[in-house]
Amino acid sequence: MHYKTGFTIYELTSGLLQNSFRILLQICCVKILIIEDEKALSDSIAKYLRGQDYLCEIAADFNTAMEKTELYDYDCILLDITIPGGSGLAVLKELRTNNKQDGVLIISAKNSIDDKVNGLMLGADDYLSKPFHLSELNARVAAIIRRKQFGGSSIIQFNNITIDTQAKSVNISNKPLDLTKKEFELLLYFVNNKKKVISRTAIAEHLWGDELEGNLDFIYTHIKNLRKKLLETGNADYIKSVYGMGYKFTDR
Amino acid sequence: MKLLHRYNRLNILVTIIVLFIGGVCYYFILSYVLIKQLDKDLRLEELEVKDFVRINKTLPPAANYKDQQMTYKPVGDAVTARKFSSITVFDSSENEVEPIRRLVFPLTVGSTNYVVSVTKSRQETEDLVRLIVILTVSIIALLLLALFMINRFVLSKLWLPFNKTLAGLKQFNLNSNAVIEHSDTTITEFKELNDAVSKMSERVVNDYNSLKAFTENASHEIQTPLAVVNSKLELLIQAENFTEQQMQDIQTIHDEINRLSKLNQSLLLLTKIDNDQFRETSQVDLAQIINRLLNNYEELLSAKQITLIKNITRHTVLLMNETMAQVLISNLVTNSIKHNTDGGSITISLMQNCLTVSNTGEALINPPEKLFERFKKDKVNAESLGLGLSIVKKICDRYHFTINYSYKEGQHILSVLFP
Repeated sequence: MHYKTGFTIYELTSGLLQNSFRILLQICCVKILIIEDEKALSDSIAKYLRGQDYLCEIAADFNTAMEKTELYDYDCILLDITIPGGSGLAVLKELRTNNKQDGVLIISAKNSIDDKVNGLMLGADDYLSKPFHLSELNARVAAIIRRKQFGGSSIIQFNNITIDTQAKSVNISNKPLDLTKKEFELLLYFVNNKKKVISRTAIAEHLWGDELEGNLDFIYTHIKNLRKKLLETGNADYIKSVYGMGYKFTDR
Repeated sequence: MKLLHRYNRLNILVTIIVLFIGGVCYYFILSYVLIKQLDKDLRLEELEVKDFVRINKTLPPAANYKDQQMTYKPVGDAVTARKFSSITVFDSSENEVEPIRRLVFPLTVGSTNYVVSVTKSRQETEDLVRLIVILTVSIIALLLLALFMINRFVLSKLWLPFNKTLAGLKQFNLNSNAVIEHSDTTITEFKELNDAVSKMSERVVNDYNSLKAFTENASHEIQTPLAVVNSKLELLIQAENFTEQQMQDIQTIHDEINRLSKLNQSLLLLTKIDNDQFRETSQVDLAQIINRLLNNYEELLSAKQITLIKNITRHTVLLMNETMAQVLISNLVTNSIKHNTDGGSITISLMQNCLTVSNTGEALINPPEKLFERFKKDKVNAESLGLGLSIVKKICDRYHFTINYSYKEGQHILSVLFP
């Protein structure tokens, strides 16, 4: 072992900076814990969620997960049920026994009703089965955080667009925008995944469930309608189509 | 033909033949023995007459009794041979034909030649023969009847363990995991059969279970790599510095990964239905599910310009698993959308015990029986995995619903009959 006997100014300041940055992050940032043993998957999730300015930590086994959930509070915990060293459900149980109110989204490879029911009974907020779209995961996480963090506030803002998730209404510059149910959900999905390319499949599955297979051309019509309604209010064209792939909601 | 019947038939046929031949032989032998007895009596008479003549030098008086007559007939020089014969004579006193046994023998008294004829009635003999034959045949017939009854009742009782095993085999269902029931038996053959059946069913159940476990595990294991690939692809498309061609290739990969994952999920679902993992039941309102589903697909229908005709008159409530009901209806409806023509129509009617989903579309190329088989796609259709209707069939089988397919006037009609 090599012990440091002194600090350079650089080390001191960078350490201080890092610490204060961390404190700053803890104050303003949403913290997410990803409990998932498949490194490639947890990395992807972390990367995508970090793009949404969330602070992500990863726990790859049961003990780390227990340790982290005990020590810190998270806004949302993504919980895989089958993790090395124990069950994800045990982590959830421990969490709720200790009266911790972290939001929990179960992500499981076992798309079984039992796991779902058990998880929700133990106090999980939502359940998503693998494989999932990162955009779908992100939307679910956003919904959980909204409920937890902002004391149940249901307002989401994107530039001049205000979405009330409770009342299911949209205002643009304080003027109500008339949208169909599906258009509302589409807009919400876009705003939750702002600045990200979302595949058509992800959109179709989010809006119509995963029974649909194959030709998804009808989505185009749907997005065209939403875009038209947004343009009519004098907005810039937020919905960019990404050739061959899907769409991106961005103000840039 | 039942084993018992076949055995009985053969048994009875052989017995009747044997009985007939045996009876005839028996009759003749018995008659022969009794006639010999009569002949002995007649010979005794002959000796008595001859003795009487030798001592008294005269013919004995012709003593005629009811069953024995004696006549003397003087003959000239003609020589008559001694002869036994069975004849029938007309008895005028009783006005009936009587069978008799006659012995004719020559006798010389002094210088006169006589022909002596001694007759004895055969009536009693014949009656005796008849009685004996009747008695014997009756006893044998009784014996036969008893045998038949034994075959019928005792044998069918003896076959009971076999029948029970057979019933168990008939009801044997791989999915129910129940062992084949058989009764304890002391009969070696049935014991062996039961042992063999038990061992076989155990082996089959084990093999089937391990196969199911393998399918389920494999499907689960596939989910994670799929999730990784999916997530990496979604991260990849964020980069946006691809050429159009590259983007299109990525989209294709993305779509195929999606297809694979859906295929996998459908297979998992089939396995789960097989494993009876949807045991919880509740009162499910089908109309509610249909309406909810149709609301969800509104945009999809209008995009394909499909006219929807809803004919839901009743709120049919079934006791089944809600997820299963949803999957059933959703598969039927998505199937009718997928295989529809643009500008076509879908008719959904729900009656008390019947749900019918029909849609416009071209006639099937494959025979309709193949419709419910896994991966049987009628035509190359990227939209279809070929599992939807086999899942429907599986659910129907699980709940003993009957599903029928017909094609009439350009309409594919799928109807599910509830019991």
